[in-house]
Amino acid sequence: MVDSITTIITTLGFPSVEAFIAALFLVLAVVAVIVVVSTIKPVLNMFPYTYPNARVRARTGRLFTEKEFSEIVEAENIEEIKNYLRGVPDYAKYIDQYPLEKALDSQLAESYDLIARITPDNSKEVFNFLLKKWDIRNIKSIIIAKQADLNLDETLNLIVPFGALSDKLDSLIEADNVTEVINGLEGTEYPKILEDVISTYNETGLLLPLESALDKYLLENLLRSAATPEDDNTSLLHNYIGTMVDVANIKIILRAKAYNLKYDDIESYMISDGYQIREWKLKELMEAEDVASVISSLEGTSYAPMLSDAMTEYTETRSMSSFEKALDSHVFNTAKTISLKNQFGIGPMIGFLNKKEREIRNLKTIARGKREEGFSPSMIKEMLI
Amino acid sequence: MVVEIGLGTALGAIGAGVAVGMACLGSGIGQGIAAAGSVGAVAEDPDMFARGLIFTALPETQAIYGFLIAILLLVFSGIMSGGSSAGLTTTSGLVAIGAGSAVGFAGLGSGMGQGITASSAAGAVVEDPDMFARGIIFTAISETQAIYGFLIAILLLVFGGIL
Repeated sequence: MVDSITTIITTLGFPSVEAFIAALFLVLAVVAVIVVVSTIKPVLNMFPYTYPNARVRARTGRLFTEKEFSEIVEAENIEEIKNYLRGVPDYAKYIDQYPLEKALDSQLAESYDLIARITPDNSKEVFNFLLKKWDIRNIKSIIIAKQADLNLDETLNLIVPFGALSDKLDSLIEADNVTEVINGLEGTEYPKILEDVISTYNETGLLLPLESALDKYLLENLLRSAATPEDDNTSLLHNYIGTMVDVANIKIILRAKAYNLKYDDIESYMISDGYQIREWKLKELMEAEDVASVISSLEGTSYAPMLSDAMTEYTETRSMSSFEKALDSHVFNTAKTISLKNQFGIGPMIGFLNKKEREIRNLKTIARGKREEGFSPSMIKEMLI
Repeated sequence: MVVEIGLGTALGAIGAGVAVGMACLGSGIGQGIAAAGSVGAVAEDPDMFARGLIFTALPETQAIYGFLIAILLLVFSGIMSGGSSAGLTTTSGLVAIGAGSAVGFAGLGSGMGQGITASSAAGAVVEDPDMFARGIIFTAISETQAIYGFLIAILLLVFGGIL
């Protein structure tokens, strides 16, 4: 037996059994390295997401269920809603500190802040940029407050204590007018964004150009920061952000067409590029005659089917809410699909942020329903998304 | 003291190295992934500590299997007798590499797989505490591949004339 093995080895051209074993080892070692590297690589790609995903899933588990929403809807008044939220640790810390709406927004902002802090490096830039949403919201709140001549306390109630502008907020709130607020932003990127539209504001006194310039800056740069995906995770993030941008553009165009506005009227409010709806398509949509033409021009994109369904309701009611509801649902479903498709990567974070947004929006709807007369619990339930 | 080690015994030593090295690589990566998930869960809910620890400990078994086979190889290949015993023949040495590779590579795959499942299970339990038992079951399933590797390694050692 040994002799025959030695003969085979010699026939193969090896001078001795030891030389054959050495060669065999070399081959096996190379194969082993290839197997190990190719097995470990995908696993190591998942590794950075394990910690943030566990934290996010813990928070997802604490989101209100349908049964809990039913209990909140049954509350007699705002104070009962606040009492309910006092029993939920995530909300308890804000509920006694701030008015209800500010407490809810603070909790939402905290969720964005958490994700930006714990997300892996390759998606950090996008989530950090997303945090500017709170800076922009605060600037908008302050200029609205100045225009409406609100006092210090009323203005403070509109401010969410998150974002990079926290240090400047006090001086901005104390400014006398909108122009002073913009001057107070010196040293940040915002005065440059507003410099083109400040003259329009000075001429007309309308805040809309200022607000839309800020929104446009956020979404355009958010899309840009997500536009060069490095891997599957960042590519899905690009998909989510892109869908948000497309939906924002479609909402502007549909609203504009419902009011018979022309290309030149809306061009300055549009985000110049999109995800599925690129620049050329946006121009085509802006040049459309009416709402129906916009929807038929969207044929071939994923937005067409649900907007066609909403068109029937729009024809009957002439209310934009059918389109807005359909588009918001589309963003929610995109996030849900991503979170199910990519459970070991960025999926749970996108899914959580979207569900949290929905939870806060529903809580605000319930609060509004309780504040205003004539809304029964069943009517409020119907308004929930 | 210079110890004479024959080719067979040296091959046995390589088998022991592959057994413990690969199994620990898989177990280490798996445990790292499970631990990262568990730390995240504990950060949100301190009551998760005990359950997180259980999920983190599960991918340890692959390293234990590799370690056991490596010890058996070291003892029976004659390395630990300081050269006083005959040691392994070249053929037995090759069998030892087979045994080491079986438990090592099985442990590598099983450990990483178990780590991923354990991390997801920790996330699922912190989201819904009722998921604990089911999480353990799903995580334990990845153990089977390591057990296959361990059994084959034992059979190779027994019928390959090493034990």
